[in-house]
Amino acid sequence: MKTILILIITALAAQPSAWAQSDQYKQAMKQAITTMQSRNEQSPIADMQTSANQFERIASAEPKEWLPRYYAGLNYVYLGFMGKDEAAKDKYLDQADVNLKAAETIAPDNDELAVLKAYIAQARMVVDPMNRWQQYGPLFQAGIDKAKSLNPNNPRPYALEGSSLMYTPDQFGGGPTTACPVLKQAVEKFATFKPTSDLSPLWGQKQIEPLMAKCK
Amino acid sequence: MKLIYFLTVYLLLVLTAAAQINLSGRITDTKGHPLPGANVFLQGTYDGANTDSTGTFRFTTSRKDTATLLVSYIGYESYTKKIHTNTTAPFIIQLTEAANELNTVVITAGSFEASDEKRMTMLKPMDIVTTAGANADITATMNLLPGTQRVGEQTGLFVRGGSGEEAKVVIDGMIVQNPYFSSMPDVQSRGRFQPFMFKGTSFSTGGYSAQYGQALSSVLLLNTTDKTQNEGISLSLNLANAGISYDHATDKSSISATGSYGNLKPLFALVHQNIDWTHVPEFGGSSLTYRLQPSKTGLLKFYGMYSDSKLGLNFIDPSNETGKTALQQHNRNFFTTSTYTDNWADGRWLLNAGLSYSFDVDATTYNGIDFGRSSERWQGRAVLTRLLPANNSLLFGAEAHAITMKNTVQGINYVLHDNYGALFIESQTYLGRNLAIQLGLRGEYSSILNRANLAPRLSMAYKTGLYSQVSLAYGQFYQTPDYRYLYLNRSLDFERADHLILNYQIIKNKRTFRAEAFYKNYAQLVREFTGQPGMPTQYDANPYRFPWGRTNNGGHGYAQGFDVFWRDQKTVKGLDYWVSYSYVDTKRLFQQFSVAATPTFISNHNISVITKRYFEKISTNLALTYTLSSGRPYYNPNRLEEGDKGFLADRTPVVNNLSFSASHITRIRKNLVVIYASADNLLNTKNVFTYRFTADGKTRYAVGPQSYRSFFVGGIVMLSKKAKVNVNEL
Repeated sequence: MKTILILIITALAAQPSAWAQSDQYKQAMKQAITTMQSRNEQSPIADMQTSANQFERIASAEPKEWLPRYYAGLNYVYLGFMGKDEAAKDKYLDQADVNLKAAETIAPDNDELAVLKAYIAQARMVVDPMNRWQQYGPLFQAGIDKAKSLNPNNPRPYALEGSSLMYTPDQFGGGPTTACPVLKQAVEKFATFKPTSDLSPLWGQKQIEPLMAKCK
Repeated sequence: MKLIYFLTVYLLLVLTAAAQINLSGRITDTKGHPLPGANVFLQGTYDGANTDSTGTFRFTTSRKDTATLLVSYIGYESYTKKIHTNTTAPFIIQLTEAANELNTVVITAGSFEASDEKRMTMLKPMDIVTTAGANADITATMNLLPGTQRVGEQTGLFVRGGSGEEAKVVIDGMIVQNPYFSSMPDVQSRGRFQPFMFKGTSFSTGGYSAQYGQALSSVLLLNTTDKTQNEGISLSLNLANAGISYDHATDKSSISATGSYGNLKPLFALVHQNIDWTHVPEFGGSSLTYRLQPSKTGLLKFYGMYSDSKLGLNFIDPSNETGKTALQQHNRNFFTTSTYTDNWADGRWLLNAGLSYSFDVDATTYNGIDFGRSSERWQGRAVLTRLLPANNSLLFGAEAHAITMKNTVQGINYVLHDNYGALFIESQTYLGRNLAIQLGLRGEYSSILNRANLAPRLSMAYKTGLYSQVSLAYGQFYQTPDYRYLYLNRSLDFERADHLILNYQIIKNKRTFRAEAFYKNYAQLVREFTGQPGMPTQYDANPYRFPWGRTNNGGHGYAQGFDVFWRDQKTVKGLDYWVSYSYVDTKRLFQQFSVAATPTFISNHNISVITKRYFEKISTNLALTYTLSSGRPYYNPNRLEEGDKGFLADRTPVVNNLSFSASHITRIRKNLVVIYASADNLLNTKNVFTYRFTADGKTRYAVGPQSYRSFFVGGIVMLSKKAKVNVNEL
C-alpha cells in the first residue's frame, strides 16, 4: 500500500499539468526576485542583465502579469545608471521604457508603474543633466505626483523624490533642508505600508537609510 | 497489483512526456563576434537562458514538437524562429544591430542641428544662453557658427554670401514676419524670442528641405517646448529691463505668461554711447503660451505676444546738410501662432498643422517726415508624414499666406497685397544604414508676381566610418523680391539661388569636426536703374533710400567657399570650446550695381572661438568668446573716376571682439537667485563696420558699434520652492 501511495504521489507530482500555473509563476518570480535582491551597485553589469533577462522570460510566459515587466524595467533602470557611456545608458533605458509600456497596458494607473516611470526619467536625466533636466525634470515630477495621487500610502514615490532632492545641490533647490521632510514622510509610510503580495516591490527603505543619517 | 502496474506505466509515460530536451547554440553579431548576456528563450514558456561570455547558451525544455525561439539583445534587432524541439543540432544565430544614432547615417549637409532630442547634436539651447558675446540672443549665437558673416551694424542672419533678407526665421513651421525688433539705422537689433521657449534649434546654411521656401540662403527653424519647465512666479531685473513671469502646469495642460518693461536709461548712464539718442529705447511686452494635450497623442500649442517700443536718435547721414538725420520710431508688434500635432496608427501617420497671424506697425519719421510702414500676415500650414519601415518616410504638405504691406514714403502711401501658396512633397529613403537619400519638390505661387515656380531639392549622406560621414545637398530656392521693389514694379519675377554643398563630419567622444564646401549660383536678382534710359546709373550709398528706380530681374551672382568647425567637450573636464572658420568669395550684379562686385555685407574671413566652463564648487559659469572678421567693402565716391574698378574696391579694417560673461547661482531665503554679468569688447577696440562719405566725398564718417567696451548685470529670483533652474538658464 505504501508503494502505491508513493507511486500516486510521484505520479501526480511528475505530471506537469498538476503544477498550478500560478505556482510556477510564483516560484519563478520568487527565485528571480531573490537573485535580484542579492545584487547591488557593485555587481557586474552581466549579472544585472541576467536578472533583467530572467524577468523578461517570465513576462513572455505570463502575458497577463505586470510584475515581471515591472521588475525587468527596474533592472534596466539600474543598468541605465551603470552603463559605460551615454549611448549604452540610453539603450538600457530604451528597454526599460519597452517594459514599462508593456506593463502599463496590463495594469493601467498603477502607482508602482508611475514610480518606475519617474525612475526612468531620473535615470535619463542623470545621463546628461546639464542638457536634459529641462525635458526629464518635469517627467520625473509628473511620475512622482501621479504615484502619490494613485496611492497616498505608497512610500516609494517619497523615497525616490527625497533621494533625488538629497543629491540635488542646494542652489538648485535640493539638499538636506528640502530632502529631509520628504524622506521622513517616506520612513513613516514604510512603517505602515503593507505590500499586496510577497512578489510586490519592496525597494526603497534600505536605500534611504544612509540618507536619513544626513537628516539629524 | 494491477494498480501498481498501471501506476508505474503511467509514471513512465508522464516522465517520458516531460522528458527534458536539450537546446543549445551560439549567438553572435553579423561579424561573428559573440554576444554575451543575450536572452534566449521559447516564447510563452519559462524555458530559456542567457548566453555566456562566449555567446553560448544551453537550456532544457519539456516542450514537444514546435516552439518559437526568441533571441533578444540590447541594441540589436530581436530574432524569432519557429523550431522543432527535437532538433539536436546547435543553433547558430546572428543578430543585426538595430538602427541607432551611431550606426545610421543622417543627412547633415547644410544643416546645423541644435536639439535636445537627438544625441548627435552640436549645439543645444543651453549653448545659446551660455555663450559670451551673444547676450542670450539666438541670432547672435548663430552668427558665431560656420557659414555666417557678422555684420555689426545690420540686423539678421547673413549666410554664405547672402544678405539678411535672404534668411527666414521659422517657428513650429510658421514663417515669422518680424523676428527682430525694428531695425534702426546702424544699430543691430535683437531677436524677439527667448531661447528657452524652444526645445530645439536647427540652423540651415543652405540646401534645406522642400518643406521651407522664400529664403535664398538660409532658414532658422525653432521648435517650441511642449511643457513648461518652471512652476510659480519669477522676477527678473537687469540694467535694461524688469520682467515677471508665471508658469503653471497640470497633468494635461500648461500655461506660461510673461510681462516686461524695459528702459535703457540705466545702461546708458553707465556705458558710453556712440549714438546720439533723443529718446532712449523704451519697451513693454507680454506673452502668453498655452499647451493642451487633448488626447494621448495630440498636442495643441498656442503662443501669442505683443510688444510696444519707442525710440529716437540722430544718425549720421552725410546726404543731409547737418550730417545727421533725426529718427523717431514707435513700433507695435503682435504675433500669434497655434499649432496642432498628432499621430495615428502607432505613430505611422503624423500631422503638423498650424495657423498664424501677425501684424507689425512702425510709426517712423525721418526729420519729421512720415516714413511709416506696416505689415500683416495670415498663414496656414499642414504637413502629413507617413513613416515607413526602415526609417523611410514620405511627407507632403501645403501652406498659404495672405500678406499686406504698407509703406509711406514722403507722404506717398504704397500698399500691396500678396497671396502666396506652396505645395511640397519630400521622401526619405535609406538604402541600408549607410546611405540615405532625400528627394523633395516644392511648387510656389505668388499673386503679386502672378508667377509660379518649381524648386527641386536633393540631399544625400553616406556613412564612411563608425563616426564619420559625407553628405551632399543640392537645391533650387526662390524668394519673392523685397516688397519695396514691388510697390513700383509688379512685373518682377522670383529671385533664385542654386546651392551645392559637400560636407564631411566626424563626431567621436564628445569631439566634433566638420568641414563644408559650397557653391551658390544667384539668378534673377533684382537690378535697379536710377539713371535715365541709356544713361549710367548713379550709385546712391544711402542704405535707407527707397528704391524708386526702374527695376528688372537681370541680376546674377555667385558665392563659393568653405568652412570648418571644431568642438571639444572632452579634453579638459568641464571645459567646452569650439572654433569655427568661414571663408566666402562672392560677387553679385544686383540692386544699383553697374558691375558685379562683392556686396558691402561680406567679409571674406570670419573666425570665432567660444569657450565656457562651469565651476561646480562656486556654482559659477564663466565664458569667453573671441571673434574676428576681415574687412568689408565700402563705397568710396572719390574713386568714381576709376570707373568699375573703383566700385566697392576699398575695405574696412578688421573687426575683432573679446567678450566675457559669468553667471552665479545661489539661494536667498529659500528662493532661487541667479546673478549674471557680462562685458562686451573687453579690449575696448574701436571697431569700424563701414564708412559713409559726404556728397562731395571730402569727409568720411565711420560707422561703429553702439558702444565700445560695455557692461551688463542682472538677476532672476524664482519665488517658488518648486522652482528648478539650471545654472546656465540666463
